[in-house]
Amino acid sequence: MGGRGRARLGEAGLFHGPCKCYGDLINYSRVLRLSANAFMPQRSPSSPTIAPPHRSALAWFFSGARHAISVPALVLFASYTGFGALLQGVGFPLGAGMLSTLLIWALPAQVILVGGLVAGTALPALAFAIALSSIRLLPMVVSVAPHMRGPRRSTFLELLCAHYVAMTLWVEGQRLLPHLPGEARVPFTLGLGNTFISISMTGTVLGFLMAGSLSGPLAAMLLALTPLSFSVLMVRNASQLTDWLALGAGFLIMPLVVGLDGGLDLLIAGVGGGTAAYLVGRWHRRRA
Amino acid sequence: MSTTLTEGAAILIVVLVGFLPTEIWRSLAVLAGRRVEAGSEVFHWVKAVATALLAAVIARLLFAPAAPLLVVPLAVRLGAVAGGVAAFALMRRSVFAGVLVGELLLGAGILFFAR
Repeated sequence: MGGRGRARLGEAGLFHGPCKCYGDLINYSRVLRLSANAFMPQRSPSSPTIAPPHRSALAWFFSGARHAISVPALVLFASYTGFGALLQGVGFPLGAGMLSTLLIWALPAQVILVGGLVAGTALPALAFAIALSSIRLLPMVVSVAPHMRGPRRSTFLELLCAHYVAMTLWVEGQRLLPHLPGEARVPFTLGLGNTFISISMTGTVLGFLMAGSLSGPLAAMLLALTPLSFSVLMVRNASQLTDWLALGAGFLIMPLVVGLDGGLDLLIAGVGGGTAAYLVGRWHRRRA
Repeated sequence: MSTTLTEGAAILIVVLVGFLPTEIWRSLAVLAGRRVEAGSEVFHWVKAVATALLAAVIARLLFAPAAPLLVVPLAVRLGAVAGGVAAFALMRRSVFAGVLVGELLLGAGILFFAR
């Protein structure tokens, strides 16, 4: 049992690096500290806690919901307020915007979707861009999934729980879930995840409505929340040369190509700039 | 800048262009599990492209923004972001401080230059 636990720990550690620097944007200064702690000694995911007090699934659901009310939730709320303002700014319908929070549940992908639509990006190219921006979710889910399984394996429940994984649930899940008994994990995850999404949808609506009723400087400041916070977070998440090159390439190429037909600007600055950054970064790594 | 999307078309786009390309990775992680090389070259490339894509979208939101920001001079928009990033770097890498300083700079810039 101990050996298996250690093996899992190793795997989780392996995936920890890439996810961290993937730069999810609903990210806050606690992430580094917390995720470092999350991989400290922990129980083997499947080992039951010794004689846990029996609680119903509903009680665990509400326990998860209570744990969602936290500083990370406040950051989520503010981020999605900015997203709501963005929706209003570009004329994207509120209902579909809220649905994007519920279904996509990854703010970078949502911003690329809305921003790309406004830029006139062709839909297949936009789907490709969003798929690329969301790959970082894969190692995140792989590393937290062992903590989200109940005592009985259910593919449906695993898929459902995986939907809630984004930066916030990933960090909080790593922190909270390993200490829970097996039967608590699925309802707790659902309580935690649904509360996070509810808070974010509330923020989306609030930002949308506020941006519609505010005028002048305040509307501009609300609308600036998304590019401003994303800029800071991207700088924070950049650690290697390739990250900085990709950041610079995307940011500097865009103004040169902005307005090209069919959203070609996003592809040139994003895929082109990112590929160039990768090539230069690889050349540098090999030379070193 | 104005997109004339109906609610129905927007919902369809959210599901097909937003939800499916995102959820596929979460599902793959559950179904195909642990046979994914995290440090491979493909991952390096994807990460670089994802970073550049997001940076490009953010640049677009700054250089060609929606109406309320468009009336703010470009130099003020860029200055606020640069100031926010600088504040983040100077104030113990606090994201909150960076965003707050950026917002305050933007507000001040609007009051001084956009009148």
